Amino acid sequence: MATDTALDHHADVQDGNLWDGAKSPFQASYGKLMMWYFLLSDAFTFAGFLISYGALRFSMPTWPVPDFVFKSAPFGVENAPLIFVTFMTFVLIISSVTMVRAVQEGHRENKGGAVFWLLLTIIGGATFLSSQAWEWTNLIGKEGMSVTTNPFSNFNESGKYLSAEELEKAGFQKVETEAHGAAATYFLRPRAADVPENRYFVKADHHGHSMAGEEFAAGNHFLITYNHANHLYEHGAYMAEDGHVKKEEFGPQAFGALFFFITGFHGFHVFSGVVFLTIIAINVAGGLYVKRRNGYEMVEKMGLYWHFVDLVWVFVFLVFYLL
Amino acid sequence: MGHLEYSEAKKVVVKGLMILGVVTIAEVFVALFGNGHIIHGFYLHKIVFYPVMIGLSLYKAYFIVYEFMHMRYEVKGLAMSVLLPTLLLVWAIIAFFQEGTSWGKRRELIHQKDKETIHETQQPSETGMLDDDRTYQIQ
Amino acid sequence: MATAANKSTAPAQHDVDLLIEEYGYDDHFHEHHEGDKYQSNFFTTYIFSQDHKMIARQFLITGMFWAVIGGLMSLVFRLQLGFPEESLAWLKPVLGKWITINADTGLGTLAPEFYYALVTMHGTIIVFFVLTAGLSGTFSNLLIPLQVGARDMASPFLNMLSYWFFFMAGLVMFFSLFLSTGPFAGGWTAYPPLSALPQASSGSAGGMTLWLISLTFFVVSVLLGGVNYITTVLNLRTKGMNMWRLPLTIWAFFVTAVLGLLSFPVLVSGFFLLIFDRTLGTSFFLNEIFVGGQALDHVGGSPILYQHLFWFLGHPEVYIIILPAMGIVSEVLSVHSRKPIFGYKAMVFSILAIGFLSFIVWAHHMFMSGVNPFISNFFVVFTLIIAVPSAVKVFNWITTIYGGNIRFTSAALFGVGFVSMFISGGLTGIFLGNSAIDIQMHDTYFVVAHFHIVMGVAAFFGMFAGVYHWFPKMFGRFMNETMGKVHFWGTMIGAYAIFWPMHYLGMAGVPRRYYRFDNFDTFSHFSAMNQFITVAAILVFAMQIIFIVNFFRSIWFGKKMTSRNPYGANTLEWTTPIDVPHGNWPGKIPAVQRWAYDYGKGGEENVSQIVPLAEGEHDQGH
Repeated sequence: MATDTALDHHADVQDGNLWDGAKSPFQASYGKLMMWYFLLSDAFTFAGFLISYGALRFSMPTWPVPDFVFKSAPFGVENAPLIFVTFMTFVLIISSVTMVRAVQEGHRENKGGAVFWLLLTIIGGATFLSSQAWEWTNLIGKEGMSVTTNPFSNFNESGKYLSAEELEKAGFQKVETEAHGAAATYFLRPRAADVPENRYFVKADHHGHSMAGEEFAAGNHFLITYNHANHLYEHGAYMAEDGHVKKEEFGPQAFGALFFFITGFHGFHVFSGVVFLTIIAINVAGGLYVKRRNGYEMVEKMGLYWHFVDLVWVFVFLVFYLL
Repeated sequence: MGHLEYSEAKKVVVKGLMILGVVTIAEVFVALFGNGHIIHGFYLHKIVFYPVMIGLSLYKAYFIVYEFMHMRYEVKGLAMSVLLPTLLLVWAIIAFFQEGTSWGKRRELIHQKDKETIHETQQPSETGMLDDDRTYQIQ
Repeated sequence: MATAANKSTAPAQHDVDLLIEEYGYDDHFHEHHEGDKYQSNFFTTYIFSQDHKMIARQFLITGMFWAVIGGLMSLVFRLQLGFPEESLAWLKPVLGKWITINADTGLGTLAPEFYYALVTMHGTIIVFFVLTAGLSGTFSNLLIPLQVGARDMASPFLNMLSYWFFFMAGLVMFFSLFLSTGPFAGGWTAYPPLSALPQASSGSAGGMTLWLISLTFFVVSVLLGGVNYITTVLNLRTKGMNMWRLPLTIWAFFVTAVLGLLSFPVLVSGFFLLIFDRTLGTSFFLNEIFVGGQALDHVGGSPILYQHLFWFLGHPEVYIIILPAMGIVSEVLSVHSRKPIFGYKAMVFSILAIGFLSFIVWAHHMFMSGVNPFISNFFVVFTLIIAVPSAVKVFNWITTIYGGNIRFTSAALFGVGFVSMFISGGLTGIFLGNSAIDIQMHDTYFVVAHFHIVMGVAAFFGMFAGVYHWFPKMFGRFMNETMGKVHFWGTMIGAYAIFWPMHYLGMAGVPRRYYRFDNFDTFSHFSAMNQFITVAAILVFAMQIIFIVNFFRSIWFGKKMTSRNPYGANTLEWTTPIDVPHGNWPGKIPAVQRWAYDYGKGGEENVSQIVPLAEGEHDQGH
């Protein structure tokens, strides 16, 4: 119906003012306008998430340092802060560029070119999604971060990790138990009930090496001791400068939840983008848009969506990985 | 609408790839540099670090919207009708962040007040230990 | 508004008919269904229709269905509030296990948790399903293409989807009413922790899940409709219909659609975070909390965050409700008082100003829920500024009808009633917008009275005005005027009888959302007033039955429309044939030559928008 609107029989009007009716004041088809306004509203959805992220982050005394959290890459690369996510960002930028090329070929009504660049864009989107899958797997499986647990945080004060002997000397009671089929040793403060929140562990790093005696300053980041053998996230014990024995605190829960939620929501957009790109690539190959004679407008609208996904990533990248 | 010629447009694409790539590398470099990964022990102050990061990201966003999404070649009204509403978020950001800060402060205050009552009602035992899980002395 | 027109040059009414004939059809046009591939059978004509007029009727009738459900719910809880000692055993066949009958006395009492469910559902249904979908959905769909001169919406298919998403939202919500644990019972705002913890109350489990699913569908419907309305108004105006010639209805629907497009997504982000809190144990909106003596694992979130996200939608939402009513009333008052709207441009700018301000005032709903008092100051100031554009509009409505040759039709009466209600309710809004006064007033019946008058009753009045006015355009027949007037006076007096006393209850501190008051000595002397309110509510509901009977009776038996333009109105929808075909104009779409409000110009009763400007005549809108 929309094709035979007022526009057709008043098309002869050559009035200077675009707002006088019978033509688009923005010289854009209704489909393109609708895509723009949908993207505007989607931007507000993401804004809702990112502003919530900001509010929660501002309400927390500490927040994990990104270049400490995101420092692994596939194939066993360790201590390479932000390198993998830079790769992911580049994948998305390149897929955006190939999308621009697809739109240009569409404008030229070059079917083969449009399909070629669309396929490259699909490959880019799929690569990004795979990278994200690896990143999530690493964070969940190896680092122990989940929507309810955040093993990354900052120290509020300076101190030194304690060894088992020092803990026993301080009057802590040593408990040896079996957890998930492996031995676990922890310490209870005097008169404390044996519940998970009261358990103090000797701090060990990722490889299981004891970190007793190591000193740290306020603001240093830390990762809660993670025991591969018994799958426990353990509060390491340390002595503050004023001589008090304390245990490490988990980082703000909200970090993990927000990270998985917002990157997941963005990933969902990438995923649906890949699905739509595939459909459109098939349609282009089938010659559907040639029949419509509108310069492959569907490819252009899809391009807007795909660039929007890239645009959102700019801000996700900013708030989660850079700041 | 002033669309570019095909050959020019192809150049813009390459230029876009370069610009976005360079800005991204710059961002990552500043992030690593500012957090002491490049010169050990050197940290950029937040007053410098945050604006640089946000500025670079906003430039990327501008570039994507104006070049890749062709906003530059659209009628100005369309650009305004999409971009101006996002200004509504400015006040939302101010208000939400202000709120977040105040939740944090209030939580801190409650924490302090909780400690105060413990000091009033409970005397330290001979070992100098309180039932508060933060205050154990090494003997 | 100057009425400087040359008497001799103003064209006569019969010229309009000639003009319309020039566009290719006359009054004797009849729609021929064959040959229209979009309306080839019963399903594509009446069910999955892509015709904006049919979708408008679908929205209206679905909205009316929900209004009856929501209204009946309010009667049940009003009975509980007015007559807490009386037996509700007679409701047992309808409400089933929610009425407990005392074995000894035979006294039937309403379950308190179901009382809360009723209040919650009443709010959700009326705000979203009736006053958003039923009002903006109906009239945006009906009037935008007709009044801007388009054959249909920009995308009729998405328009159809918009209705069916709304329908699904309603279906899910309807289903939730029959859960054994009851529908959601934590208030229409669904604040955490009641909404975030499935174990928090009986409705928080399945009821809340269905509530969230339903409203997510609803938001999809609003967004699909919104992009369509905006694009249609921008792109599909007929020749000559520049923005300053748009009727105020279209301006109002346009800004409404923009508000919906920008605010509902933020609600969705709140909903998604809430779903995570409910299902995955995250703590976006939950801090340390005990439920039933059990400490939960949640830590570090903030329930106020949800309130911010909710009211970032919630405040624009009340303008999404009231702006269409404002637009309809502007048009109806001008047509029926035979005068141009006073201050057309001021009206447009005040709609835009209200639209803008609605996005920066949301926290005035949260002064007492723990929002930072420093930031509250700004919200107070922004809130009070809204009084300015609102007052401009009220002034312009009054000056529009002042000295007019008013026809007291039902539509005009409801238009005037709207203005009355908007003033009464708007004034109390200024009280509540002050955070200092809000300390006393918050969560009392003063608030209930305020928002029911200003966005409940007033929006309903706008809707009624629109239904009475455009009923002939929708169904080709008129509604019964006598029944309409009984409906108006009954509703007008009854609505004030319900809500006026509530101000006094509120100022005395009677809190809202309480199951019964007779065990509070402080409030015991208000029991007579509560009974009065309940009786008034029942009477007002009875008046709506008159309306519904009138509505459905008139669809089949109403007085037939005999002329194309029964009210002598200027807007384009009255240039279409009596039986409006799919595509609206059987010939060409008429071009627009002047603004929509040339009433009483140059000695003419009215001058249609399609009549060309005479030599030397000045178009007032442009």
